[in-house]
Amino acid sequence: MTEIKHHAYLFDATRCIDCRACMVACSVENNIEMDKTRIWVAGVGIKGEYPELQRGTMVYHCMHCDHPDCMSACPVGAYTKAEDGPVTYNPDLCIGCRYCMNACPFGVPHFDYDKGIIEGAFIDKCTFCPQRIYNGQEPACVQTCPTDALEYGDREELIARAHARIADHPGRYIDHVYGEKENGGTSYLIISHIPFGELGLPNLPATPVNEVSEKVMEITIPFALGWGAILTGVAAGVNLYNKKKEKTAVEEKAEKSK
Amino acid sequence: MKLNLTIQPRFRLNFSPLVWVLLILMGIAFVTAMIRYIFGIGAISDLSYSYPWGFWISFDLFTGVVISSGGFLMAGSVYILGIKEFQPLLRPSVLTAFLGYIMVAIALLVDLGHPERIWYMMIHWNGTSVLLEIGICVMSYLTVLAIEFAPVAFEGFKLQKWAHLIHKYIMPFVILGVVLSTLHQSSLGSLLLIQPAKLHPLWWTPVLPIMFFTSAISVGLAMIILESSLSSRYFQRGLETHLLEKLAKAIPVVLAIYLVLKFGELAFAGDLHYLFTSGGFSILFWAEILIGAVAPIIWFSVRGNRKSANGLLAGAIILLLGMILNRFNVSWFAVRHPDPMFYMPAFMSNVHYMPTLPEISVSLGIFAAGILAFGLAAKYLPVFEEEHDPKAPSFGD
Repeated sequence: MTEIKHHAYLFDATRCIDCRACMVACSVENNIEMDKTRIWVAGVGIKGEYPELQRGTMVYHCMHCDHPDCMSACPVGAYTKAEDGPVTYNPDLCIGCRYCMNACPFGVPHFDYDKGIIEGAFIDKCTFCPQRIYNGQEPACVQTCPTDALEYGDREELIARAHARIADHPGRYIDHVYGEKENGGTSYLIISHIPFGELGLPNLPATPVNEVSEKVMEITIPFALGWGAILTGVAAGVNLYNKKKEKTAVEEKAEKSK
Repeated sequence: MKLNLTIQPRFRLNFSPLVWVLLILMGIAFVTAMIRYIFGIGAISDLSYSYPWGFWISFDLFTGVVISSGGFLMAGSVYILGIKEFQPLLRPSVLTAFLGYIMVAIALLVDLGHPERIWYMMIHWNGTSVLLEIGICVMSYLTVLAIEFAPVAFEGFKLQKWAHLIHKYIMPFVILGVVLSTLHQSSLGSLLLIQPAKLHPLWWTPVLPIMFFTSAISVGLAMIILESSLSSRYFQRGLETHLLEKLAKAIPVVLAIYLVLKFGELAFAGDLHYLFTSGGFSILFWAEILIGAVAPIIWFSVRGNRKSANGLLAGAIILLLGMILNRFNVSWFAVRHPDPMFYMPAFMSNVHYMPTLPEISVSLGIFAAGILAFGLAAKYLPVFEEEHDPKAPSFGD
């Protein structure tokens, strides 16, 4: 395998047969309960009329965005983005506010609603199988996929492969690689024969959704200092004015009494 | 056989019916919260993967914070702008804000997955997170409000020296309080900036923080009117109608600015076509605009309404209802989640959210505690008295 600079997945919706082996593999590899899977397969059902029938399935897990919104949103910095792709979550810092779930446009982070404070309720999401990828193996879901619908490799290489495949099969795919630009680029790339919106993927611009909120946060501290200075100035001015007024009033009174 | 029931109980709790109702609500909330801590949030609420935030955030955080904005408005007017005539309104508004923020903090401790880690916000900082700003602001502003309210408590406990000491150095805290409030009121709007893909374009705008701050000013003014009116009725004390009239006069101005900003932004962003084409969202939008802004502008522009106690109270209630609807819209009703897909795994398919009774009971109980605390403070502390006035009459029933 060639050296991987930026770990990424490529999902080809035309190849997925909805066997859900990836879900089982993920739960086994990461030792998580089956109903709390980090990867899930959803389908649009059967579309069209006989004999022109079509069905589509989509495998979801963390998109490992280049500008992760969960990481931008987390107040305590429980998320980290590795230089080479994976976005990971640190349960030791998590305060359970669930802002990451609100922020993520893909609805990826999940929360343990059934656990109290003694057991500890945490967020869970795909980790990109660091125990595997940093030892030269593919992530569990990719390894187990029987039809190569899920592929793993270097991001640049996968993007090139996706475009080549679209070009090789004119008419089969929609000419777009989802995740190449969406939300500032993601490490989970998708090509499909049915519109991405129908697969449940949000229609996102190339700018990450956290752009505006991060800009607002940048100006917050200068704004606070400036506003504080203005208020101090106003308070001092008003105080001075009132004192002067009092003084003249007293002087006038004194003059009158003369 | 007859049981001897003649022994007099040592304690007899002579509470009014209202106090009993409040205490029962608090008890229910306490039990519900304990169930939540032991069995998890899912045991009492309908929150889900699609709806991580629900009634608690909309009511306790968004509504709770905005109705506490009277405190910084009055502190700013009296101390910074030197409008001394508002002095009688200062203490009740600071008390309302103080209790409001305590209620917000308690409610958030129920909503947080790890309430015991709330202090992590003080040491682990992620500078890009709006929620961090909110957390820091709540904690610091609570401290500032405690300092601003401390003279009242000290006077109540006959510690005039301490009260005087704090009063002497109050200025920096007032300025800090106004800065923190400005940040905090607006940052609740910024909190939703990260959801451009989820929040309906009638509400999502880059100027959300400015919208939030402007509306918070109008809500703060209305809250002072409401809380003065209610406490004057309940504690049989005089109503400062001539002062409230001045506040009521300012409301149409603030709301007019709000409307100009709101529609100006929609026009600028090219979202005006959503005004009538978004079905339920359009109805929600017009409801909040008409009730929260247009109706109060008209109501408070009529001189007779500003002069009468009933007119003031009615106008304040209309404004509050509309603006609270705005906070619910922006944090809950107008947040769109992806549609459920065909044979989506069961745990992902819950995209409907309806607050459960236990969920609402927690908020109600905390609210009841706030009302009770206000009543106790009003009865035992010199909240409604002029500062340093030893001959002030005592209130209560």
